[in-house]
Amino acid sequence: MTDVVATNQTILVVGGGISGMTAAIESAECGKDVILVERNPSLGGRVSQLYRYFPKLCKPSCGQEINQRRIMAHPRVRVLTMTEVDKIEGEAGNYSVTLKTAPRYVNEKCTACGDCAEAISAEVDDPHNFNMKKHKAAYLPTNMAAPQRYVLDPSIIGTEDAEKARAACKYDAIDLDMQEESLSLNVGAVIWATGFKPYDAAKIQPYGYDRFDNVVTNMEFERMMDPFGPTGGKLLRPSDGKEAKKIAFIQCAGSRDRNHLKHCSRFCCMASLKQTTYLTEAYGDDDDASATIYYIDIRAIDRFEDFYQKVKDDKKVSFIKSKVANITQDRESKNPILHGVNTEGYHRYDDEYDLVVLAVGMDPEVKADEIGCKVAANTSGFIDAHADDAGCGIFGAGCATDALDVNRAVQNSTAASLKAIQVINKTAGAEA
Amino acid sequence: MADEKKIGAYICTGCGIGDRLDAKQLEMTAQRDGKAQVVKTHEFLCSADGVKTIQDDIDNDGVNRVVICACSRRAKTDAFAFDGVTLSRANLREGVIWVRPDSDEAQETTQEMADDYVRMACAEAKYLDVPEPNENHGNNLRILVVGGGITGMTAALESARAGYDVLLVEKGPELGGWMRKLHKRIPDRAPFDEPMDTGIDDLVAAIEASDKITVALNSRIARTSGAPGQFSVDIATESGSTTTENVGAIIQATGFKLHDPAAFPEFGYGNADVITSAELEELASAADGGPIKRPSDGKEVKAVAFIQDVGQNSTEVGKLRYDSGAGDLVAIKQAMYFKHHNGDDCDTTIIYDNLRTPGTAGEDFYRSGQRKEVIFTKGAVSKVDAAGDTLKVSFHDKILDEDTEMEADLVVLDMGMIPVTGPDPYATLEIDTDDDEAEVVEEEEKEDGVEAENPVEVSVESILNLDYRQGTDLPQLKFGFLDSHFICFPYETRRTGIYAAGPVRRPMDIGQAIDDATGAALKAIQAAENAQVGRAAHPRSGDLSFPTFRKEGCTQCKRCTVECPFGAIDEDEEGYPQYNEGRCRRCGTCMGACPVRVISFKNYSVETIGQQLKAVDIPDEFDEKPRLMVLACENDAYPALDMAAMNRIEYSAFVRVIPVRCLGSVNTIWITDALNSGYDGIILMGCKKGDDYQCHFVKGSEIAHMRMSKIDDTLNQLNLEKERVATYEVEITDIERAPKLINDMAATIEEIGMSPFKF
Amino acid sequence: MSNTAMVKKYRNDFLREVEEKVEEGDWVRMCMQCGVCAGSCPLGDAWEHPPQEIFMMIRAGKREEVLGSDSMWMCTSCYNCIVRCPRELPITHIMHGLANYAHRLGLAPKANPTRRFAKIFWDNIATSGRVNELKLSLGLYFMDGFGNGIKKALAMKDVGLGLLKTGRLDPMGLFKAGGIKDKSGLQKALKKAREIEDTRKGY
Repeated sequence: MTDVVATNQTILVVGGGISGMTAAIESAECGKDVILVERNPSLGGRVSQLYRYFPKLCKPSCGQEINQRRIMAHPRVRVLTMTEVDKIEGEAGNYSVTLKTAPRYVNEKCTACGDCAEAISAEVDDPHNFNMKKHKAAYLPTNMAAPQRYVLDPSIIGTEDAEKARAACKYDAIDLDMQEESLSLNVGAVIWATGFKPYDAAKIQPYGYDRFDNVVTNMEFERMMDPFGPTGGKLLRPSDGKEAKKIAFIQCAGSRDRNHLKHCSRFCCMASLKQTTYLTEAYGDDDDASATIYYIDIRAIDRFEDFYQKVKDDKKVSFIKSKVANITQDRESKNPILHGVNTEGYHRYDDEYDLVVLAVGMDPEVKADEIGCKVAANTSGFIDAHADDAGCGIFGAGCATDALDVNRAVQNSTAASLKAIQVINKTAGAEA
Repeated sequence: MADEKKIGAYICTGCGIGDRLDAKQLEMTAQRDGKAQVVKTHEFLCSADGVKTIQDDIDNDGVNRVVICACSRRAKTDAFAFDGVTLSRANLREGVIWVRPDSDEAQETTQEMADDYVRMACAEAKYLDVPEPNENHGNNLRILVVGGGITGMTAALESARAGYDVLLVEKGPELGGWMRKLHKRIPDRAPFDEPMDTGIDDLVAAIEASDKITVALNSRIARTSGAPGQFSVDIATESGSTTTENVGAIIQATGFKLHDPAAFPEFGYGNADVITSAELEELASAADGGPIKRPSDGKEVKAVAFIQDVGQNSTEVGKLRYDSGAGDLVAIKQAMYFKHHNGDDCDTTIIYDNLRTPGTAGEDFYRSGQRKEVIFTKGAVSKVDAAGDTLKVSFHDKILDEDTEMEADLVVLDMGMIPVTGPDPYATLEIDTDDDEAEVVEEEEKEDGVEAENPVEVSVESILNLDYRQGTDLPQLKFGFLDSHFICFPYETRRTGIYAAGPVRRPMDIGQAIDDATGAALKAIQAAENAQVGRAAHPRSGDLSFPTFRKEGCTQCKRCTVECPFGAIDEDEEGYPQYNEGRCRRCGTCMGACPVRVISFKNYSVETIGQQLKAVDIPDEFDEKPRLMVLACENDAYPALDMAAMNRIEYSAFVRVIPVRCLGSVNTIWITDALNSGYDGIILMGCKKGDDYQCHFVKGSEIAHMRMSKIDDTLNQLNLEKERVATYEVEITDIERAPKLINDMAATIEEIGMSPFKF
Repeated sequence: MSNTAMVKKYRNDFLREVEEKVEEGDWVRMCMQCGVCAGSCPLGDAWEHPPQEIFMMIRAGKREEVLGSDSMWMCTSCYNCIVRCPRELPITHIMHGLANYAHRLGLAPKANPTRRFAKIFWDNIATSGRVNELKLSLGLYFMDGFGNGIKKALAMKDVGLGLLKTGRLDPMGLFKAGGIKDKSGLQKALKKAREIEDTRKGY
């Protein structure tokens, strides 16, 4: 860690998701020095948990591969994983930043051979799979992990397993004495790209996410499609492991709701439309497979409307304009039953499904007013980029600034990169 | 660097390689077959000590072609990074031991696999050169912005703020575009509750005050040639004068025009009191703080109906398949005009189907509109008629589920946005050569579905007048919007150094256009900066290589100039390809296209791949050991196979995988050579093609599929079964499928038998 | 506004009337037609028009249909809708407000049992300051005539006897004056409250 060099010509990028990666590599490819910090053990962020992107239905890891390759190979980018910003002080052109790095217990000698994982038996919840799955306590976070280096879960430190892992490593890569480290840096500008967290579905009491097995979130549904995910790429009901064929999607689960998130999370309509295509992927033309979307307004914005039209043409998919009132569960079958009213006309329904997907919205991972240095929060806690205090050298990027889809997050991060470069160039100009 | 190539092969025995493979044998292979002058084995090659061993040989022993026989080229890239030498990787870990069972009976074929990969890496090393930056690069860092609306103005200002000179060209007599016509704009900051001033005057003043920005009004681009860092642009003024300017990168921000409301007579446009939302802005400004009056008789408006998504979101002929995205926020803003100017008792009704007020700003603004008593009605309007001195709007109320009507003094139509772009080069590209190429273009048109996808006629007047072989303007993807990668890399157009920003890319409101312009400015600056040092742009960012061709061998067939996905290659007067290196993205599609194989890169050529496939030891027909070749896209298919290995998914020991930059770079000579030298099966793994293409080089995969569709002739000539060659679209997540495709081919070969071409 | 005034469709006249005259009526404009109130109502089946639809009808200017509807009389004040409404509309209160307003205008459906119960209840309590359960029950039983009253009373006789046995029902209550001490004070207070409300709402 001592070899991390930064000056007021350096841009600190906080968050290694698609937004942070974009901001970091775009800045570096303009010739700027960048330090990219990520809290998790590997880069990728939320998009690495997605199965496909809308509207092209392509795989997020495809773009991730290129971004990671660019970042890892770029001499001007320094990536610090398992690292968070502890404190940030100063002003545009001159920030003092304190970073905190959690112990990985695995050093750079790791070859990702996997012997440590092989050697131990302890398993821990896998947060990449929303804890629907366990993995070994010595693990490579994902297939796409960058850096490609193992991690030891802190829970096994001091146990026999930790010793076994250390003993199994032929390359002296496991260091059980690693401690949390603190690092102070001087940087010129900051790009804040801490992204979003899915809204806590358990807080939406009437939907029973915490009570009913067969009510899952949209993000969990994404993981189910991954062949290396918790269900091996099959749409299996959590209650009995049977294939879920009749699936309901509940839009605005938390969003547009004064009791939860008052903003519209923007991506969830398109995400559900996309997820209806997973049924075709899983079941082909099987007539038993069906998707029903319960919505207030379908927000397929601008060119995305084309995708909406395509989904509407799919015989398997139907739409009901309704915010579902509540969900109950059939005691025997564990089928969730949706209750509510179709407001186009007024038709009451009590619809039974194999599985319900809650299209939960986005909450800012870090509330803007917790960042410090006069970063302003908007009415939902995202960074207000246009607040009047414009002299600030901390720029929000991606979902830290609003609920955005990937395309808009990348657009926004690229813009943030230029904003940071302006500060750096101005500082350089003043010093020259 | 010394002219002499000195290969150093370094064999790692770590990660189980030493346990599973005979390292001595590998050393011998490297030495004897690979002709490596230095061969060393290390038990932990990526360690500081291992890396030092290599670096010492480079520094002291003249090794300049490094061959790492260890893990995948995707692993340990930070450790194996050496300056001034070429690097080849024999993938013994992910490519061999991790995909093969650890059993005695598998040992022999596994070792053969490893030996072949060592041979292949050494063969590649022999033909690799260290790229040096192109000397013919430009140094111009000035940014040209085309279009003086909010997007163009923002791009200009943001570039200038980063310290770059800007030339801003606007076809009209003043800056401001649509923004100048607006009364107010949608709020962009909390609490998102009131329309805000456009700030247009301040923006124009800032541009005028900037000593970095030159503005050319009443001007158009008459011609654009060159490449990033050295574009030459003729600016023609309305008065007829033309000046030539040099710029480093270009941003096209030519905005949009509104769909024609007269195309939808049912909405009554033509009646003076039926207006578009754009016309309402002028009406509101003209009211000058007083009540907004209706055009027909100057009566103060007391009831107004907003009809949303007119001619949008429909597959019907003449309608747009998309919507403007911001139309509902605009309607809310405009309804507030009436509440402000005409009083709270002025009734405003917005008739919508799906209300699109996304994000924090959108939903806050929606609620603010409701608080101001703007009425929202989910409905579908069928007709607007004059009724006495008022207007009658007939619609189906979708909530009350009834056909109904309302009266209004004024009806405002939300019209869709149509991008102002030039002609799509691939809809108009004329082909004047032989049949093969005509076929290429026909296919493209079919794939693009140009006719079906363009619901309304778009401008055919060129914007950029690019003096490029492949047409005058930026290529389009759908609905006339300029092509971009769209999700992960939204700015990547198919003309290097030229970026699209604002509603030419997709419909957007002012807030998003400002973001977009700022991002595009960064990309333009980056392109100019990279051009200055001869570096490639995304996705092979930083690559210093560039294509060259042997002129004496060239037959002027023009395949390369036609197929280049980025329009980088022109033709000189004699008909030879003229490379514009700065425009090149280093995908190698030209190299794949060349029937006489005269195009190459220093670090990638027909030989670097061709020699690898020739280096593979082809066993005798009666050995019952077939050989399969996989040419895998390095961006998706190759990582998929790597990840298969990480998950210990086994596949046939008879396969040899060669990563390629893009399937577009695959030259059919490799296939022919492989078949002739006794390979039994060949698999090409590329990315998804078509409208939802996933190819990072846009057309590479598509072109490869097209080329391979013609390989049947070759197979026929050789009297070989067509099953021996297969082309697949493989996703990076095809971790289980990619090995299966290999195993399936192995099974097919077992069925149809070995190739008779083994000598 | 008089009861016969023409209300223009989708103009805000009736909405404004509701905002001015109906308790919490100024929230009606905030509904976004999600329908969660309609789905959350335990008596939903009994409603001709669920709350969200009533709100749309108000905006559409359907004055007579709204005020003449018995839908809002179905509300039992369970508050499910208020709890779930994503726009925090006090739907229960608005329903009662609408019912009250319709009643005061004389537009409420005459035969609606909830309205009649409410009226009997009110008259019962407003007179004495206490609810006289026997009087209330009998009033309810016999509101549709003597014959019906006997029928209803017979149907409920087991419950009544049970209540008698356990001392929960005082048969003599029918004849006792009962009530609070200062009845006229209460009546004065109620009268004053009414005046204040009338002034505020502009009746």
